[in-house]
Amino acid sequence: MNRSAPRSIDQYLRQLREELAGEDAALIQDALYDAEEYLRAEVAAHPDKSESDVLELIASTYGAPDEVASAYRDTEAKVKAAMTTPRKAPGSAAGIFFGVFLDPRAYTSLFFMLLSLATGVIYFTFAVTGLALSAGLAVLVIGIPFFLLFMALTRVVSLAEGRLIEAMTGERMPRRPIHQSGTSGFWSRVGEMLKDRRTWSTLAYLILMLPLGIAYFVIAVVGLSLSLAFTFTPLIYLSDHYGWFDPGNLHIGPAWLESLWALPFMMLTGILLLTLVMHVARGVGRLHAMYAKALLVAPAGV
Amino acid sequence: MDDSNSRKFQKELNGGLVGLVLLAVLNQSSEDLYGYEIAKRLASANEGVSVFKEGTIYPVLRALSAGNLLTSRIVPSYSGPPRRYYRITDEGRSVLAEWTAIWAGTRNFVDRFIDKGQSP
Repeated sequence: MNRSAPRSIDQYLRQLREELAGEDAALIQDALYDAEEYLRAEVAAHPDKSESDVLELIASTYGAPDEVASAYRDTEAKVKAAMTTPRKAPGSAAGIFFGVFLDPRAYTSLFFMLLSLATGVIYFTFAVTGLALSAGLAVLVIGIPFFLLFMALTRVVSLAEGRLIEAMTGERMPRRPIHQSGTSGFWSRVGEMLKDRRTWSTLAYLILMLPLGIAYFVIAVVGLSLSLAFTFTPLIYLSDHYGWFDPGNLHIGPAWLESLWALPFMMLTGILLLTLVMHVARGVGRLHAMYAKALLVAPAGV
Repeated sequence: MDDSNSRKFQKELNGGLVGLVLLAVLNQSSEDLYGYEIAKRLASANEGVSVFKEGTIYPVLRALSAGNLLTSRIVPSYSGPPRRYYRITDEGRSVLAEWTAIWAGTRNFVDRFIDKGQSP
């Protein structure tokens, strides 16, 4: 041990955070949350002892910060290895290009893009209503409790969005909500919350989700309808041509396209376009996960 | 030197055993338990000294939960952050039965060699 044993819950949590420096921000948030639950329960269970007396025994029961940190690292590595299915690397360039159809992340990301319009509208409404009401009610007695309620709900929404993103893109997000440590007075906690960069970045995320959601939705819908139309129009045209069934009055754009030799090219374009859409979806999913992590999760080591 | 050797051995042993013990504790319990409660049950079963560092059970609880062997719900608490209560699932029970059999087999196998050398 190259440092003094922690004498308070805050010190313990700070040391644990230092031990976990460089780990995934979501993992750190979870580890701090678990430790705080245990430490506060332990202190509450010994009302006759002072906090520093309880903390003295912590190293032998809960474990010193470095032991706990290594337990989280080990378990995380094992779970990650067990949960990610090994993918065989596709060899050829075509394999890499079309391999996207075998990647479940591409489909879930595409679904996320479609869903983000709905979640974006909800988040935007929630954040703007909450902010406006908080500002408007600030002069009244109920202003502060309302703001606190709004903040609590924001954290729940942030956790839920994190879970959704992890399910859709596989990016590790927190499994526990943000919990503010510190037992100091009510007003200093409110002040701390207002000073916390994450409070505002979370609100910014919720508000920005509307324009982003619209963009994702448009990209996904336009991309899908265009590529699917290109892929399947030749089939419909052929069935019309040979009289398998009558799709009604059918015209494919310019006349030169209505020749039989153009149809395979049209279909090929559609399939290439569809593959491209899948790549874009997967890329957007990854980028959005990184962006969400930057705004919703506490940066490591702060 | 001796001490660090035994600690390393204990830690390696615990790797798989923590999960088995946690499943067993939650299987025996009639109500849902949260992390601290489970830690204290483990300690009280062994005269107040837990074989595991109690901090190591939390990540394992989360791993078991991620593997659908446990379900959990969050309940607000006065003393600190909201508590996560765990309950074993049917899948967890069947896994527990398998692991128990593996543990019994391993223990018998190990005992066969250890008992030979030094008869108690």
